[in-house]
Amino acid sequence: MNIIEIKNLSHRFANGEIGIDDINLTIREGEFVVFAGMNGSGKTTLFRHLNGLLTPSGGSVILDGISVADDPKRARRMVGMVFQNADSQIVGETVYDDVAFGPENLGLEQAMIAQRVSEALHAVGLNAHADKRPHLLSGGEKRRLAIAGILAMGSRVLVFDEPFSNLDYPGICQVLKQIVSLHHAGHTILIATHDLEKVIFHAQRLIFMKDGNIIQDGAPDDNLKEAERFGVRTPCATHFGKEPISWLT
Amino acid sequence: MADVTAFSYLTGASALHKMDVRFKLASMILCSLTTVKTQFAGLFFLTLVLGIILLYIRFPLKTLIRELRYFSVLLLFVFIARSLSAPGLPFIKLGFVTVTYKGISDGALVCWRLLNIVFTGLIFVATTRPSTLKTAVEWWLKPVPFIPEQRVAVMISLMIRFMPVILEQARETADAQKARGVENRKNPFYRLKKIALPVLIRTFVTADELSVAMDARCYTEKRTSMKLTAGKNDWLILGGVILLCCLMVV
Repeated sequence: MNIIEIKNLSHRFANGEIGIDDINLTIREGEFVVFAGMNGSGKTTLFRHLNGLLTPSGGSVILDGISVADDPKRARRMVGMVFQNADSQIVGETVYDDVAFGPENLGLEQAMIAQRVSEALHAVGLNAHADKRPHLLSGGEKRRLAIAGILAMGSRVLVFDEPFSNLDYPGICQVLKQIVSLHHAGHTILIATHDLEKVIFHAQRLIFMKDGNIIQDGAPDDNLKEAERFGVRTPCATHFGKEPISWLT
Repeated sequence: MADVTAFSYLTGASALHKMDVRFKLASMILCSLTTVKTQFAGLFFLTLVLGIILLYIRFPLKTLIRELRYFSVLLLFVFIARSLSAPGLPFIKLGFVTVTYKGISDGALVCWRLLNIVFTGLIFVATTRPSTLKTAVEWWLKPVPFIPEQRVAVMISLMIRFMPVILEQARETADAQKARGVENRKNPFYRLKKIALPVLIRTFVTADELSVAMDARCYTEKRTSMKLTAGKNDWLILGGVILLCCLMVV
């Protein structure tokens, strides 16, 4: 079943520059898709249309049969987004408060909010840090906190914009492990990155973007060798004629 | 990892942490207003009480001293201005500049009052979650006509939440400028200009990113609020604060 259907989607910025241009795409429920491309290729702009943060200049995004434009609140509940800069995404003074922010906006009862927060913190392994101040967490923990924030809203589609930027090796492993386990739990995962090395082993589909267009779309095995044509470095193992390996092994 | 700043919530389980925020807010306002009318004996008494509270809530004193070093410069300016401007019996006379006994006394009094107000505010911020503060501000503003209480409350809680982030950004910018030899420039206005502009720009960018992130999490003004419940202890503490304020004025 297609959870996301994008039809002729275009976005033009106020200065006339084209963000994305006539994109057609479908994503099946439970898929793990990596969007790769150079900076400015349109990955973030495309993602911001999935939950109505940007309004398209043309075309539409349909989530599970209902257009984002018709019900943006549903879209934001359904598509949770983890931004590149985790610091500016955190609004709570404690870890608990931050995860509770989304459910509070949904107008849920306090008891339900407490239950959702507890489940989300447990899912990302931060339940012991509930009373900690978020800006004192490590980079990897901050990303996991951002993930908990969207899990507490009950999002089915999880969108990650450069989830590994500015993280050290343990931080990358923590976040990657989390993403893989969420995929196994049935979530649809979309990741924007220009660094395939860390994630491609786990992806089921690889899409290359350039100048606001989708240039190539297919299975990672078929697509990977083309990566450097689109300004994306291929994983190290590929250079030695081997298959990519997981960062979790 | 970010540094600890004094102007943020400190996790704890003290009576002040558990106190109903409406009562805490009223107590803070009462204390601050009374401080303005208090003389040296009252100020000494209040400082003693505030000091004990700071120790009780386990406020990191090193952080306090570090964060207040810039504020102490402001206090020094206030003290000098008062010392030079008040008429009375001269203490020192250098040419046309006269420092009077009354000026010194007035300056010390004003500085001490300001310091006590800052301590009161710090105790409030350190023991109050912004989410509960938001609910309390909403509660107090509800009867006031023409004021969108929910919007004002969210703005206040976000301001408190982002104070440490802005201070951290200012510190990073200052360090980056030190690394490029800004200390060789002795003109304080030049240095102020060079730090203020980048920090302002970064603050606006952060605010922009924050508003997008809040939108992505369905932000609305009509959201679930914390339930505030007043107990016997809240009334007792408020009573204690009122008594303290009366004693300070007398």
